[in-house]
Amino acid sequence: MMKSLVRIVRLYLFQAWYSYRSLFAWSTPFSYMTSKFGYPLFSMMMFVFIGKFVGFTDPSYIVLGNILLMPITNGLYGISMTIGNERQFGALSYLLGSPAPRAPLFLGRALFHILDGFLTVCIALPIAMLFFDIQFKGVNLFLLVGCLILITIASTGLGLIMGTISLRSQDGWMFTNTLGQLLFLLIGVNFPIQQLPAFLQPVSTFLPMSRGIQAARMVVNGAGWSNVAGLLGGEVLVGLAYILIGYTLFRIVERASMSTGSLDSF
Amino acid sequence: MASFFRLAFRQMDVQLRMRVLSLWSLGLYFIQPAIFSAVSMFLSQAAGNAVPDLIYTVLGGGIMGMWSGLVFTSTYDIRADRREGTLELIVGSPTPLRTVVGFRSLLNVLAGATSMLAAVLVAVLIFNYSFSSIYLPGVIFSFLLLLFALWCMGVFLANLLAWSRLSGTFVDLLELPVALLCGFMYPISVLPDWMQSISVIFPIRWGLEAMRDCLKGSVIGAELTMKWLIALGISFVFLLLARWLDGKVHDHIRITGELRSV
Amino acid sequence: MSDSNAIVTNDLHKTFKSTHGFLKRTTRLTEAVRGISFSVEKGELFGILGPNGAGKTTTVKMLTTLLLPTSGDISIFGMDIRKQTVEVRKKIGFTFGGSRGLYGRLTAIENLRYFAELYALPPEVSRKRIPKLLEIVGLDGRGEDKVETYSSGMQQRLHLARALLNNPQLIFLDEPTVGIDPVGARELRATVKYLQSRGKTILLTTHYMAEADELCDRIAIINKGRIIAMDTPSALKSQISPESVIELKTSHENLPGLQTLLAKLDAQTKITYHENASKQVARIYTLQPAIVIELLSPWLNTDLIHNMEVRNQTLEDVYVNIIQGEEK
Repeated sequence: MMKSLVRIVRLYLFQAWYSYRSLFAWSTPFSYMTSKFGYPLFSMMMFVFIGKFVGFTDPSYIVLGNILLMPITNGLYGISMTIGNERQFGALSYLLGSPAPRAPLFLGRALFHILDGFLTVCIALPIAMLFFDIQFKGVNLFLLVGCLILITIASTGLGLIMGTISLRSQDGWMFTNTLGQLLFLLIGVNFPIQQLPAFLQPVSTFLPMSRGIQAARMVVNGAGWSNVAGLLGGEVLVGLAYILIGYTLFRIVERASMSTGSLDSF
Repeated sequence: MASFFRLAFRQMDVQLRMRVLSLWSLGLYFIQPAIFSAVSMFLSQAAGNAVPDLIYTVLGGGIMGMWSGLVFTSTYDIRADRREGTLELIVGSPTPLRTVVGFRSLLNVLAGATSMLAAVLVAVLIFNYSFSSIYLPGVIFSFLLLLFALWCMGVFLANLLAWSRLSGTFVDLLELPVALLCGFMYPISVLPDWMQSISVIFPIRWGLEAMRDCLKGSVIGAELTMKWLIALGISFVFLLLARWLDGKVHDHIRITGELRSV
Repeated sequence: MSDSNAIVTNDLHKTFKSTHGFLKRTTRLTEAVRGISFSVEKGELFGILGPNGAGKTTTVKMLTTLLLPTSGDISIFGMDIRKQTVEVRKKIGFTFGGSRGLYGRLTAIENLRYFAELYALPPEVSRKRIPKLLEIVGLDGRGEDKVETYSSGMQQRLHLARALLNNPQLIFLDEPTVGIDPVGARELRATVKYLQSRGKTILLTTHYMAEADELCDRIAIINKGRIIAMDTPSALKSQISPESVIELKTSHENLPGLQTLLAKLDAQTKITYHENASKQVARIYTLQPAIVIELLSPWLNTDLIHNMEVRNQTLEDVYVNIIQGEEK
């Protein structure tokens, strides 16, 4: 029993680290920085200027939302791109042909993306404070960190669903990319969810991360645990549901992919 | 001459079938621009505006699609060729790489124009945009100039990105910064002065401004002509830079041996 | 420069620079080719052999204008590859081992038409030539199929067809039979011989000794970026010695016993030991095979000797001898 547990933990950690290094290694600090911060920061600036043009008077709302999006995209792309990249490099067949249990094998791959996302936020937040006058006086930092971790973990379930599409389709990453783009719209990153048309607001409610982002915004504005407990609880439930659905779907599609032969590289 | 057109046809045919006609293009030319447009409109709504400025929110999305499509296809083409092993075969043929790149970029630009077409249709059919003040000949000329500017930049980018396996890193530094600096979704005047100064080097900025002026019927005459000339002139500069790069790239990648992916 | 030469190389060097490390970057120089000189006559089938990483493919890429030498000269049909690059490209065709380099979503014919345009072939020429080339490489009837449905062997054959599109006078084949089944490889070798009979000059790199022995007029053996031997296959074989080779197979457990037995042979007799799948192989090089066989025959088909084979020295023996001699 103990031996199996140790094996699973080792699988979880080693697989996570080697997968991260082999598929997402950056050859220089420059390419790391441009990859991590390029698109998020420039899209944030884009939305800030759009907001300025249309008269949206609170740029810090947009800035904070886009910073909170950074660890989410890490979790989302981390797992889904992992599967797509394994396929591209021709390693997917070997991975799935091994007897290793799937949960630590694939969910474990999110670990370093979560840590990476966290690091990204730690770098982005001080920059935002400097340029966009975001204040952190009276903020419960422990609670804020908790929100960030929760948001990122919740996004991995969605990443697993997207990764499942990569098992079936060579264009799976396109779906992931589209979903990543839709997050700008649907989870309260750039404007309050209440601005969405009535038919879209339930979509936002059923997505993981929406509650987490709302909670994080409240914490930055000085809210305490009692104010955000409900939101965080909801986030935990929705996140777990997505992880469970994602994992189940993954196993079903894995079996089906083996009979259709869609595991091979491009 | 006949062989030139045959080569053009063959290049564009393969480019269309191998790269352009894919789900990826759907995302680049339609979905991403639609999302940016939608965010822009909801921000406008949140700011209390009854009606968004369609020239910026919707047509701005169209130019986003054209530019993003061009950046990604220019970088992806070379990377895909490198990975698939066809870059070596193309470079090893008597046809210069710049000719192949030129035809591919032309098709990429024309494919991107569908994004603008979709944006116009959305503006007209869904938002009932009225072209009452439009200066049509100016709009058409400005749009053609914009296509030319994009083509020149596409050729330049493809030559720049053939340089090294690591050039893909530059995509992150190209797509949104240029969209930001050229005022795709807002007037240039929204930007701080120092950013406006940088944006003058991009022909897209001038072509786009000219097109918007003609759509609004707000500026004609000498100022419009000046914008056209600047756009044209800078486009030619990019073309010359691309020609210069072509020779350098051809030698450089054969020295470093980076015609193949890892 | 002689008119009868298709290729002349003089003191070729190629050094690659690579950087390592993430925060602290260091540069490493790798000398892949260290002074190679040879010439190939028109109509000759010239082979280059060498272990992995010897510099074969780097040499071929320099000859095909895909890599610039760090120093040294190359001329193809009297043309300098640096100054007359485009003219050289018009006269040569090349394939590299493996199935990459084709557009999978296009058919074979569409791929060939695409590359035909890169070589500015008039349509009336490519219309006639493409079906003929498909026939030569054994792909007639499959031209309308998408390349992504081809096996790797078929893709390699399509590459050969592609290399022949511009009717080149000089063809470079870099490991053309790698990954191809024995029947397909035999057919491909027959095609190569046919091309040579039509007056083509061919430069071939391969790992398969029997293939080089069968096809090549002359062979250069490269190791660590240098040519260490160059001659006709028979001359190379006679270089080492007219000894016969007696090959014995035994199990791992019985190897010490076999070694004890072989110690009874003349002390001058050269014996090498190799591991081969699940067996140990001993090779005895001797001018007196009959005496050795007489000594060993009582032990044949016992646990000590599972199998015995007597043969003349092959190119593989030459190659192994030369490379191992170099390593020492």
